[in-house]
Amino acid sequence: MTPEVITIDILNLLFAFFATFAFYYSVKILYRYDRNATTPLQYNLEKQSYLVSVVIKFIFYTKVLLFIFFIFTLDDISNILPGAMCGAGVVNATQYGTYLLILKVINLYIFAYWLALNSEDMKSEQQIYLQLKLKVYLFAYFLLMLEIGLESLMFLSIDTKSVVDCCGSIFSTTDGTYMARLLGMNPIILLGSFYALFTCIVVAYRVRNRYLFSLMNLLFVIVALVSLISFFGTYIYELPTHHCPFCLLQKDYNYIGYLLYIFLFVGTFFGIVIGVISFKKEEEKSKYKVSLFFTTLYVLLVSYYPLAYFLKNGVWL
Amino acid sequence: MIKLQHVSKIYDDIKALDSIDLEIGEGELIILKGVSGSGKSTILSLIAGLLKPTSGDVLVEDKHISKLPDHFCSRYRRDNIGFIFQKYNLIPTLSVRDNILLPLVPLNLDEKALHVKLHSVMKMFDIEHKKDVRVKSLSGGEQQRTAIARANVNNPKIILADEPTANLDEKLSCEFIQILKELKTLNKTIIVATHDPLFFDLDFVDRIVEIHNGKLLCS
Repeated sequence: MTPEVITIDILNLLFAFFATFAFYYSVKILYRYDRNATTPLQYNLEKQSYLVSVVIKFIFYTKVLLFIFFIFTLDDISNILPGAMCGAGVVNATQYGTYLLILKVINLYIFAYWLALNSEDMKSEQQIYLQLKLKVYLFAYFLLMLEIGLESLMFLSIDTKSVVDCCGSIFSTTDGTYMARLLGMNPIILLGSFYALFTCIVVAYRVRNRYLFSLMNLLFVIVALVSLISFFGTYIYELPTHHCPFCLLQKDYNYIGYLLYIFLFVGTFFGIVIGVISFKKEEEKSKYKVSLFFTTLYVLLVSYYPLAYFLKNGVWL
Repeated sequence: MIKLQHVSKIYDDIKALDSIDLEIGEGELIILKGVSGSGKSTILSLIAGLLKPTSGDVLVEDKHISKLPDHFCSRYRRDNIGFIFQKYNLIPTLSVRDNILLPLVPLNLDEKALHVKLHSVMKMFDIEHKKDVRVKSLSGGEQQRTAIARANVNNPKIILADEPTANLDEKLSCEFIQILKELKTLNKTIIVATHDPLFFDLDFVDRIVEIHNGKLLCS
């Protein structure tokens, strides 16, 4: 138990309490809400729907921001786990870590999607997205509770006396696992896909095709993560065998990982959301721009490292 | 223009309005007559979107005001409603000019547009000579003219006045009635909630609606 873990646990308790309260009222509103009714029940439900939206909004905003704190906590705990060099060792220290991390990334997008939906709903006099956002919340509630459960299990199961694997063995390309095969992919295919997808994003922006833009962003986030771990990361570390996605977050590498992940997640989120919510023309335009701006920053920053290495040393890794 | 359909309003256990129906046409001047606590102010607040009914519907130009989310109610009030309160609700430490300009703040108008609107209402309600004076230094009549100017600076379609002469002597009340007559000629829909007998025999009033214990007695 470190102060960071205690903070996360206390916040999780609060989230669980308020999320359950919001869940109960969301179910009630979904069953009984009738936009055209002018009964006392309907007016009460309208007030409750506003309160529930505010509660969920605060939970999800905090959860999205806490993702960075969670990553920081993993990195911090690695100092007290024998064998761990970074957050990767902590994630791998229990059977829950990997599932939790994957779930957290998925939830990040789902919570952000709900926030975008809520923002649009609040802009509409008719609250056109009310039913949809409450249905999305019912689904998100289970994911949130699963995340809270997994997070508690992970922190409770960490044994500070057992030696854990370091990131060098977890992200090794030589042990024949799926991870090793993924990381050992031909860099030409990987980089080809990476830059081709980015080009498709730019083309989709030029032709203003929101579905294509959204799909390309969805594919891009997957390819970008794989190529970061498999290829670009090695140039940040300047070590061909080092594939860890967590060491990027450390001081030794100027915390560059935080910037990279923020650029990637913000850019692709706004890119994906354009395809799933119908925004007004002006807002759609601004979301295109935000998405493209952050994705471009990501591509430029991540491309800088191999180029700088090549210019400095005259060889590729 | 304004329709109240089966509107009830209950505060805790007190029934302020009991399933009332009321229609007010565009350009009409209506007097809501009734003793204190009869439900007059509640009707005004419902039309202004300051309150939601417990049941029933409030429509203004076919828009369901009672169904609007709160932030849209604010926008609706800003664009459509001029409210004259019994105690004026002016900010005493601000000047007449600043008080009148308050409703325009969210509109982000440029200085020129602000000046045109300000000059026009101050002239109409004869308060221009006091524009830089702090409101707390004004007489009751001047404060009321400031309040009326502020209610009109947005050029609203609907003017709601809640006991507008409760704090005025007879001379100033007559002055207010003259202003009301002028506003009527501008084709504004005006609803005055009052129990002041001065309003009950005016020839330019279209209707007097009496309320008793939350029910409409005659219309």
